[in-house]
Amino acid sequence: MGTVHARSMDTLPMQGRDLGVHPDDLDVMEVQQETKQEILENKDVVVQHVNIEGLGRTKEDYLGYEISEVFNAKNLVDVMKKSHEARQRLLRLGIFKEVEVIIDISEGADALPNGLDVTFEVTELKRLTGSYNTMVGNNEGSMVLGIKLPNMFGRGEKLTFQFSYGTKETSYGLSFFKPQPGCFERNFTLNLYKVTGQFPWSSLKETDRGISTELNFPLWMTDHTLKWEGVWRELGCLARSASFAVREESGHTLKSALSHTMVIDTRNSAILPKKGALLRINQELAGYTGGDASFLKEDFELQLNKPFILGSVLSASLWGGMLFPIGGQPTSIADRFYLGGPTSVRGFGMYSIGPQSEGDYLGGEAYWAGGIHLYTPLPFRSSRGGLADLFRTHFFLNAGNLCNLNYGEGPRAHLQKLAECIRWSYGAGIVLKLGNIARLELNYCIPMGVQSGDRICDGVQFGAGIRFL
Amino acid sequence: MSLAAEAFVSQIAAAEPWPENATLYQPLKEDQILLSDCASSLAVQAYLRMCGLPVQVRCRANAEYMSPSGKVPFIHVGNQVISELGPIVQFTKAKGHSLSDGLDDVQRAEMKAYMELVNNMLLTAELYIQWCDDNTAAEISRPRYSSPYSWPLNQILAYQKQWEIRRKMSAVGWAGKSLEQVYEDVSQCCQALSQRLGTQPYFFNKQPTELDALVFGHIFTILTTRLTNDELADRIKAYSNLLAFCRRIEQSYFDEQDKDGQSGSSRFSKGPSLI
Repeated sequence: MGTVHARSMDTLPMQGRDLGVHPDDLDVMEVQQETKQEILENKDVVVQHVNIEGLGRTKEDYLGYEISEVFNAKNLVDVMKKSHEARQRLLRLGIFKEVEVIIDISEGADALPNGLDVTFEVTELKRLTGSYNTMVGNNEGSMVLGIKLPNMFGRGEKLTFQFSYGTKETSYGLSFFKPQPGCFERNFTLNLYKVTGQFPWSSLKETDRGISTELNFPLWMTDHTLKWEGVWRELGCLARSASFAVREESGHTLKSALSHTMVIDTRNSAILPKKGALLRINQELAGYTGGDASFLKEDFELQLNKPFILGSVLSASLWGGMLFPIGGQPTSIADRFYLGGPTSVRGFGMYSIGPQSEGDYLGGEAYWAGGIHLYTPLPFRSSRGGLADLFRTHFFLNAGNLCNLNYGEGPRAHLQKLAECIRWSYGAGIVLKLGNIARLELNYCIPMGVQSGDRICDGVQFGAGIRFL
Repeated sequence: MSLAAEAFVSQIAAAEPWPENATLYQPLKEDQILLSDCASSLAVQAYLRMCGLPVQVRCRANAEYMSPSGKVPFIHVGNQVISELGPIVQFTKAKGHSLSDGLDDVQRAEMKAYMELVNNMLLTAELYIQWCDDNTAAEISRPRYSSPYSWPLNQILAYQKQWEIRRKMSAVGWAGKSLEQVYEDVSQCCQALSQRLGTQPYFFNKQPTELDALVFGHIFTILTTRLTNDELADRIKAYSNLLAFCRRIEQSYFDEQDKDGQSGSSRFSKGPSLI
């Protein structure tokens, strides 16, 4: 945390904590001239100058939008509050290592008696930062090299490059990020990448080389993402024993897709929220802009959280999606939906529900899944805080179905198809929150409604992931 | 395929009879397939017909990638997938169908040597002309090879394939050869085959073997495929007994069987006729 320095002031009546400023942090300078001493607390003040010191490559005009609010402050408390907000806004840009705020009375010829100068002392991030690490997993060792160029052209642009050299596969990603000056949430990203994925539940290997452009912008309460992606996909069998249905999907395809995502998120935390709701609606149109794959894909995710008795939280979620092939072309195994596993319908094997051929899961064109959870704090914990806060016990009831639809039939037939052969499961387990991005689960599950061909995981199931039903 | 896997496959295969729904996969016949793949595919079809094993031919744009070895053709029999003539011959042998059982050890060694000759000379020459002769590559091979794909994938894949074949040519020492030298090699290979064949109906007298299937596949395809010029076909036409040999196999294994009215998606995938 940076420090707010205030000079030429008497005691501060306010609680600094509310603003993230501790009273101890405030440097109250010894006032040299008794006559100039004034109590500014309730007095009107005018912010005359706002300076930013320590800028190297950052362009000043880019920061103007972030700090302009400070000029509107009418009294000292307001100045401190607005300066603090401005500091947070500057830090959010991800181009400064540190930002300190100094508030001083104005000096110089045009200084007003109640004029204040606010100075932000910033330390820029280095032009180039790098990292390297090694990873072992998936029967493969790899070395990952990362290079980051923050604030490349002085207006918040960021270039990141990651290269992973493995014993079997190499992959890379190059990404350029450019925010709109004055509205950091409105930004543009350009990606260039090659990734390789292995999907043992389908005996499938996929190598994607692609380019994507993404536009993010907030609109009222919602966040939107518009994306175009052009990707060259190479599918292959993971093993010689792969089923013929998977073998038939092998080869190269080109997908060019436009997609739109809308998110409303009022939860207090992405992992283990106590209250709030999440709605995410995603739609993808492939084929309109070229390429071999043409389909329309819609899917949504809804999650509601409500505090319940004794510090427990009741959470309900619903997922659903449909894939419509366009132009009579069958859909690719890489575009279809998959369901099952410790992150969706618990008690079933990873993505092991629905259509399959010789033990390889082929995915489906329509799915839904729902879950109800009761999260409770760990029993017998001694006090609030500490490690125990990262854990929850939960009781869950999951249900879902994945199938292929005959699009010639009406919606009534589709609903009927989705309502028959429902897989469901219930159980209890422990959830561990990892940072604010992922969670681990250890559950005892009892799968029900198992259909022939489904792979189940009866009993203890371990799961890790970032998206959970 | 590893030796152990091969042995395992043959063991399983031996237990089951040849199914009715056996299928051979090759690239799209009209727009995509290239001379060398067409020749290999025809050789396998000829071999299976000689064995009397029915097989349905299916054309798939991604046949090359479906194949476990990355080479066409391949056959899908029961739940087995086997690619290329050599392994297919072994596979049928395990099922009790063989053309070379009547040969003694010397003849069998001779047959294998001639098959190696055809693969090393004719097949390599076909690949050389397709991908290393700039005219043929630009006018025929690259456009045909990439025809199922959309831009820019078609360009990427065609050049990737060309690069791969050129590397292979360097590895076998053909990269420095001129087109004229390659035609000369083809002539020599044909001369050797022509001398071995002599006046016999098949290479080993009365009975056809896998060598006959292989030679037929290549020579028939070269004779009936249009390239930028006729030089390659002309070199082969100099050996009249090879032409007669091709006609003989075409008549006895392809023509008569096709007369008994098989449907369009047919078992007949040989292309134009010689006669």
